Amino acid sequence: MLHTILFYLFAAVLFIAALGVIFSRNPVHAVMFLVLAFFQSAVLWLLAEAEFLAIVLVLVYVGAVMVLFLFVVMMLDINVERVQGGLTRYAPLGLVVAVVMVFELVQIIWLRGQANTETLGFAATPEGYSNTKALGAILYTEHVYAFEIAAVILLLAIIAAITLTMRRRPGLKQQNISNQVAVSAKDRVRVVKMDAESNS
Amino acid sequence: MGRSPRMLQNYVPILIFLGVATGIGLVLLALGFLFGSGQKDAEKLSPYECGFEPFEDSRMKFDVRYYLVAILFIIFDLEIAFLFPWAVSLDSIGGFGLIAMAIFLTLLVVGFIYEWKKGALEWD
Repeated sequence: MLHTILFYLFAAVLFIAALGVIFSRNPVHAVMFLVLAFFQSAVLWLLAEAEFLAIVLVLVYVGAVMVLFLFVVMMLDINVERVQGGLTRYAPLGLVVAVVMVFELVQIIWLRGQANTETLGFAATPEGYSNTKALGAILYTEHVYAFEIAAVILLLAIIAAITLTMRRRPGLKQQNISNQVAVSAKDRVRVVKMDAESNS
Repeated sequence: MGRSPRMLQNYVPILIFLGVATGIGLVLLALGFLFGSGQKDAEKLSPYECGFEPFEDSRMKFDVRYYLVAILFIIFDLEIAFLFPWAVSLDSIGGFGLIAMAIFLTLLVVGFIYEWKKGALEWD
């Protein structure tokens, strides 16, 4: 009972946060609403006993991807007054995506539910079941190819990000620590021998 | 949906924490709303920067290097995320899993050496 109440509570907040992403005027506020939406979906995954996925959603999406989104928003040089009014321009595209997603959800929930009532709810998990363990057991054996492909994609992302954004600034005064350490006293200090001046 | 699995019982403290945090947040806002004078003028609502007039618009462009740091962080964050289920299920996936993860880590170490040698980790 509590389970169901919590599900509807967090789903409602998720829905409101998603609306906030679309309708907030300030792009930074929209990103913050998206953070809230990610947190709520993490809770929903937790309620579905997908513990690892919930934590990863918070760690990766909230912790890293949203920081990236904020940087991108801040890099765009956004003047709040100028970017308003894009809603009607992008609404048709958004509606098309929404219709496709609703169609897919209906197909999964309703049509398959008719054929087989088992898929409507999650099967009860046995005692001591760990979602993380079950995930690991197939991710590194059955889906090992996809797993290695993920490593290649990550490697590609490293190289692409460095190639696109690395800039060497010419004329920058830098400290070269190895040169500083390697220097010896005779490179810097010159001892000049002089005769003592006689004070007549 | 009527059952309450044992796993979820571990998260009850977080649920209580969420409730308390929401409550305190609402109470503090409500107190300010109830007891605040509500007198606003142009000087009070103006942007405030440590006691002096702001130098420039705060909506300035950020350096692209922040973006580079963030994207490099995401990549290694994901790598760590892949390590967790691997560590949990290592006894059931055995040597095959060990080699799979070794290849995965080798590929990412190649990227790590690349970014180190390229100087992407230095902030100059």
